[in-house]
Amino acid sequence: MTKTISRRDFLKISAASVGALAVGQMLPPMVAKAAKESGVLNAAGDGVISTMCEMCVWRCGVLAKIKDGRVVKLDGNPEHPHSNGNLCPRGQSGLMNTYDPDRVLTPLIRVGKRGEGKFREASWEEALDLVASKMTEIKNKYGAEAMVFSSTHNLSQPLFENLLYAFGSPNYGTQRSLCFNAMIVANTMTYGMEEPARIYDDKLKYILLTGRNLLEAISTSETSDLSHAIDRGAKVVYLDPRYTKTASKATEWLPIKPGNDLAFHLALLHIIIGEKLYNRSFVEKNTVGFDELKKEVSRYTPEWAAALTGITAETIARIAHEFADAAPHALAHNGWRTSNFVNSFHTQRAISILNALIGNWDIVLTESGGEESGALGAPPQPAYPRVSALRLDGVPWKYPVVPFKIGVFQELRDNIVSGDPYQAHGWFISRQNPVMSIPDRSKTLEAFGKLDFIVTVDIVLNDTAWFSDVVLPEASYLERYDPLLPFGDKVFLRQPVIEPQGQAKSALWIYKQLGERLGLSDYFQYEDEEDYIRQQLKPLGVTLEEVKAKGYAEAPETPHAGESAEKRWNTPSGKIELFSDTLAKVGFSGVPTWDEPPQPAEGQFYLLTGKVAQSTQFGTQNNQLLNKYSDEPRMWINAQVAAKLDLATDDWVEVTSEVGQIHIPVLVTQAIRSDCVFMTPGYGHLSKGLTTAYGVGASDSVLHVTYTDPISGGQALSQTFVTVKKVEDESSAETLKPLYSGE
Amino acid sequence: MGINIKIKSFNALEGLPRFVYVLAVIAALGMSAGLYRLYAGLADTTNLSTVFPWGLWISFDLTNVAFSGAAFTLSMLVYIFHMHDLHAAVRPTVLFGLLGYSSVLVILFFDLGRWDRFWHFLVYPNLSSALFEVSWCIAIYSAILTFEFSPVILDKFKNEKISKIVQKMTIGMVIAGITLSSMHQSSLGSLFVIQIHRLHPLWYSLAQPEFFLVSSMAAGISTIIIGSYVSIWMFKQTLSEKIIEKLGSFVPWIFGLYLLMKIGDLILGNKLGLLFTSGMLSVLYIAELLLTLAAIIWFSVKKLRATRKNALNGALIIAAGIVLNRFDVTWFAMKSIDGATYFPSFIEIALLVGVTSGLIVVFSLAAHFFPVFSETLPVKDLPQSELVALKLVSIFCGRLMI
Amino acid sequence: MAKYGFLIDASRCIDCRACLVACSVENNVPMKSTRIWIKDSGVTGEFPNLERHTAPFHCMHCIDPSCVSACTVGALQKNEDGIITYDNEACIGCRYCMYACPFEVPHFEWDQQFALITKCDLCVSRLGDGEAEPACAATCPTDAIQFGKREDMLAMAHNRIKDESSRYVDHVFGEHENGGTSTFYISPVPFEQLGFPSTETMESPAHFNRIATEEGTPIIAVGAAIGMTGIYLAIEHNQKKNGTDKIEHVETKHDSAGKE
Ligand SMILES: Nc1nc2c(c(=O)[nH]1)N[C@H]1C(S)=C(S)[C@@H](COP(=O)(O)OP(=O)(O)OC[C@H]3O[C@@H](n4cnc5c(=O)[nH]c(N)nc54)[C@H](O)[C@@H]3O)O[C@H]1N2
Ligand SMILES: Nc1nc2c(c(=O)[nH]1)N[C@H]1C(S)=C(S)[C@@H](COP(=O)(O)OP(=O)(O)OC[C@H]3O[C@@H](n4cnc5c(=O)[nH]c(N)nc54)[C@H](O)[C@@H]3O)O[C@H]1N2
Ligand code: SF4
Ligand code: SF4
Ligand code: SF4
Ligand code: SF4
Ligand code: SF4
Ligand SMILES: [Mo]
Repeated sequence: MTKTISRRDFLKISAASVGALAVGQMLPPMVAKAAKESGVLNAAGDGVISTMCEMCVWRCGVLAKIKDGRVVKLDGNPEHPHSNGNLCPRGQSGLMNTYDPDRVLTPLIRVGKRGEGKFREASWEEALDLVASKMTEIKNKYGAEAMVFSSTHNLSQPLFENLLYAFGSPNYGTQRSLCFNAMIVANTMTYGMEEPARIYDDKLKYILLTGRNLLEAISTSETSDLSHAIDRGAKVVYLDPRYTKTASKATEWLPIKPGNDLAFHLALLHIIIGEKLYNRSFVEKNTVGFDELKKEVSRYTPEWAAALTGITAETIARIAHEFADAAPHALAHNGWRTSNFVNSFHTQRAISILNALIGNWDIVLTESGGEESGALGAPPQPAYPRVSALRLDGVPWKYPVVPFKIGVFQELRDNIVSGDPYQAHGWFISRQNPVMSIPDRSKTLEAFGKLDFIVTVDIVLNDTAWFSDVVLPEASYLERYDPLLPFGDKVFLRQPVIEPQGQAKSALWIYKQLGERLGLSDYFQYEDEEDYIRQQLKPLGVTLEEVKAKGYAEAPETPHAGESAEKRWNTPSGKIELFSDTLAKVGFSGVPTWDEPPQPAEGQFYLLTGKVAQSTQFGTQNNQLLNKYSDEPRMWINAQVAAKLDLATDDWVEVTSEVGQIHIPVLVTQAIRSDCVFMTPGYGHLSKGLTTAYGVGASDSVLHVTYTDPISGGQALSQTFVTVKKVEDESSAETLKPLYSGE
Repeated sequence: MGINIKIKSFNALEGLPRFVYVLAVIAALGMSAGLYRLYAGLADTTNLSTVFPWGLWISFDLTNVAFSGAAFTLSMLVYIFHMHDLHAAVRPTVLFGLLGYSSVLVILFFDLGRWDRFWHFLVYPNLSSALFEVSWCIAIYSAILTFEFSPVILDKFKNEKISKIVQKMTIGMVIAGITLSSMHQSSLGSLFVIQIHRLHPLWYSLAQPEFFLVSSMAAGISTIIIGSYVSIWMFKQTLSEKIIEKLGSFVPWIFGLYLLMKIGDLILGNKLGLLFTSGMLSVLYIAELLLTLAAIIWFSVKKLRATRKNALNGALIIAAGIVLNRFDVTWFAMKSIDGATYFPSFIEIALLVGVTSGLIVVFSLAAHFFPVFSETLPVKDLPQSELVALKLVSIFCGRLMI
Repeated sequence: MAKYGFLIDASRCIDCRACLVACSVENNVPMKSTRIWIKDSGVTGEFPNLERHTAPFHCMHCIDPSCVSACTVGALQKNEDGIITYDNEACIGCRYCMYACPFEVPHFEWDQQFALITKCDLCVSRLGDGEAEPACAATCPTDAIQFGKREDMLAMAHNRIKDESSRYVDHVFGEHENGGTSTFYISPVPFEQLGFPSTETMESPAHFNRIATEEGTPIIAVGAAIGMTGIYLAIEHNQKKNGTDKIEHVETKHDSAGKE
């Protein structure tokens, strides 16, 4: 029986080593040489450098204050549309990611068994040579497709993709199917774009949020926008089985039964169409398939939905009317990680269509700028080799409408385990923690066991790196250049505000070095990071020095389709598709349709997961500043249920799902439905290389069963059902299937 | 030669009661607890917290200062009021006062977050701070007590010349001492004037400084009476019953005034209702009042104050009232935040016991080497019952340490 | 000189704690200490009619600060612009300020070997560096913390309550509390529910403290000195007249305690 260290004990321990030190005292001074040369810093090395946050994918503008060659403070850049001068707690804590005493600062090569965490330090030469030779070996033996690549959205991703496409592998996993596949595939099928931009202006009156916990799962500017809209008196209706902080600010919180959001939205469509509350001229002019839709939703009465959702028919009808009355200044928010159930694609379609019906286009929803700017230059490169191998993630042979660039990551993992349709042999992972982020952690580790070679690019020994053969240390976002980020009429720069610590290098450098060793140097035609950015800037006629000083450059906005008189959508019909022929052709319903989600049996609970404002996914729990201000990770359980189970806050429970078991203390609260429990993701790390985070809390990924929405390929994270039992001891019971240990 | 000196000094300690050695060991242990606290910080060694930033040490300090008020009360009676018949008590009382204040300073030193800066109050003044006043007064008053004790030392060395000078200065010093004592005894009460939100309204009063000042005089008298008894056990010395009786006769006046002030405060502050509606705190407050009243009655009856043994019981009633009051004000009646409670840690208790033991050791050594008890009455035989009591006391002290 | 002030709107705060992290970084606060907290009403009500309110909390920067009048060594001072500063070079760690502050603001670094106080100093160094706002106010994504001139903040507080009377309780916390502060709060629920101490006193106890220390003590001192001298001289005079000025030691008869 091993005793888990409680968070408090843990803090004590870490305080003894480093925790007691304040931020500014961690490491010897670093000098931002580049910034000094450009005059942003004075001779003493003090000043303010403009760059971009990467504590999450939102990428707010940051002004980094430098003193004696160290970053001492990050402030929001008022000129950046994603920060408007503010930073969220994670952004504020960013320098602690850089100064994390657990940073990996030299390349590491595994010496012990996999998962033992024994590594030796190596030179970049040796580590890169090893990676290149292993990759080449796999390619020669099994074909390029036996090498799997995966990475989570980041600015150097185009270069990562360059590497894998040039290498010739079709197997690419991104975080998207773990995140918002349902939303982007639904929008693609409806509007022909992944995610329309939302306009929160003074006129916006009504906001329907379906599980988008915007005030905790923060995107700084949109979180501000929503908050200001509430301030101005906009009505917010929020659907979530949990009383979140967004719920506490919403006008109305509807604790909907998980998985039944689809029924709610179908009923809204039923009323809006049935009572002719929609914008007829907009629908006629801009959409196709209205009749099919009308026919389908005619059966979804509010009474029918009430039985499924737990929301009364009157409430549903009232909301439909309120929403239509507020039109066109009403927004049905798609939500981001609303891929909670196998039916989520239809839920997302229903939401997208709700917006289309009230004609809020170009008033509330609009074309999103996208991150690819035609205005930017790029180094020349040859075409990629043709790839004929099937994709392991089932796109398109199992998931015909999922776009290639998006994929179905969890299916990729499953097929590494199954070896079907062929066996993968290597995995190249960059800034991602699939051991934690894909459901069913033990299965992911099982997949690792099938592989000859795993390499990870990260800044710390995350759980994935812990099980890798080679770890390549990337310079942190405050220490490196990344490719430019086009945004609206500007391009923004991420630039080093301090020199990289240790041997850490930028991704631009790492991928180029690997490319050269793999004989792919034609795909990496730039001298160094600055040269890459200069080539990007060439068409804009601005120098790198100018951009460095300001942090951004003006760029002509890529004209989008919406500006011609006759609006054309990027769909097969050129219109907003209420009915999608594409879907129908591959055997799915062309209109949103009811799809009964599975339900927990007697004595089981829905296991909910979701973000808290003080951490990002699985990568920031080791940040001491965030750790300092985080709540203790406990499992929420409804007060009435807790009373029945004889549970009080801080009592320990054993939580069991089909695939795993954990022990965790509970938080007894009114703020959750009685058929649900909730866990914050990102705790229960396996890597002992994360000295602050290791031993704290338990992981929900251990419990999550892998379910995939058959249309969008999104993982269905609320579809895992668990049982809860009180236990006396505090022992950690993360039962893992036996690990394969490499070699 | 060196050996000789050693033997000589060893011999010098001959005749020192055995308990002094035991207490010296306890004091050393207590001091090491204190050193450990300096090394390890307050978090790991004490149970002090944001809710109770002050604990046992401060409660003890405040109580200790009140009892050390014996010195100024007695000097006042002897030198100002010319009650020279009480003079026999002066030397031991002044020594006790001096050591009492020293132990307060020692404990305060261990209590400070920046103990290395204990001297800062000398160079960073804040005239509106009660604690600043207290620090200064105690520092100067300790010097004056040293002066008042100097005749004892001079006696030993028989330096007539200096003794003469000292004698001449005595009255001025005594007046200065009384002034400083009035200031710091009352300023200790002033400490609580700012704590209107923390201290329970029954105790919170703008007259707190006066309460502390007046009650410290009664505390002082109880110290002398109890001390005269304890010194029978420890040094086979005591004061005459005449002196004890005379001292006791002041108690009804002092405590009478005190009680009137307290009741006046309840009435003027509209707090009579609280006296019965504050639960446990009501009990504590009423207990304080009753103890005060009991002491008044006790010492009003001549028979009860005229014998040593009876006076001792009366003095214990005073002491109980004073201890309770000082602990109420600093601890029990302090509003908790979020229901947090405080109980001292082992180290806190150990340091306290150690410092107290040290105080007795130093007192004993002083009494051994200097004519502290030059004017008191020697006692020949120890009554059996009191030996038992003495043993009980030492066992109790030992328990506290373990 | 213009006085600084905060307006904190509990109806806006989302408990993200960006302000807390920002403060720690800006002021290099040790990992186990903090200068700013979240006041949290907790989830109240019966499912599904729930409520929860939060607001950040730091030093109120009182007009007549109790802590300043109490501090043993004057480590706490009030600046002309209303900032209550803390001098960590002077502080002796006596913790008297913790008892003096009615808002439980000064905290102590219990875990340090040489322990000091942590207290918001309104980012005085940051403002000195030319920044327009303290770190907490600057980063707040919902503008729950606003910073500016004291009188503007107070006016804004009253205006918001007036304009949206259904949204706020009619109370600007800090306007009168502890004799008035530089930090004003408005809230949708009574302040006790948010866990604010109810210090409705219109006068800061610093005032009484000064009476006790700066007036009371001198009076007692002078009274004691003059009184004692007077009594001494009077008795001396009397005894001289009556010829009883000889010091007389009465300890003549030796009694034994053992006989009692
Ligand atoms: N602080 C912080 N901010 C973040 C992130 C982070 O990690 N931390 N991550 C960023 C990323 S990558 C993403 S994708 C977004 C995610 O942003 P969101 O999608 O808003 O956030 P989540 O917390 O994943 O999920 C939201 C809510 O869905 C609820 N929920 C679960 N099942 C159901 C259901 O069946 N129906 C309904 N209606 N609700 C359900 C959960 O209770 C949870 O409160 O946040 C982004 N912002
Ligand atoms: N149980 C559960 N599972 C989930 C979710 C959930 O809410 N609950 N959310 C889902 C969602 S919405 C998403 S988007 C995915 C996210 O899943 P992932 O993308 O796998 O998770 P992250 O934690 O974002 O991984 C980021 C990694 O990047 C590393 N990193 C940080 N900075 C740098 C850098 O500068 N360079 C490099 N190379 N590495 C860096 C971090 O150390 C961390 O290991 O997870 C999904 N899975
Ligand atoms: S939302 Fe927060 S973490 Fe994400 S980029 Fe902005 S400041 Fe950084
Ligand atoms: S930053 Fe603003 S919203 Fe976030 S906790 Fe602080 S005051 Fe509240
Ligand atoms: S809130 Fe407390 S610490 Fe701040 S100025 Fe007022 S009394 Fe001093
Ligand atoms: S702890 Fe420091 S700041 Fe507080 S009263 Fe004592 S000396 Fe002053
Ligand atoms: S004003 Fe500055 S010191 Fe005070 S709480 Fe805000 S950030 Fe911290
Ligand atoms: Mo995500």
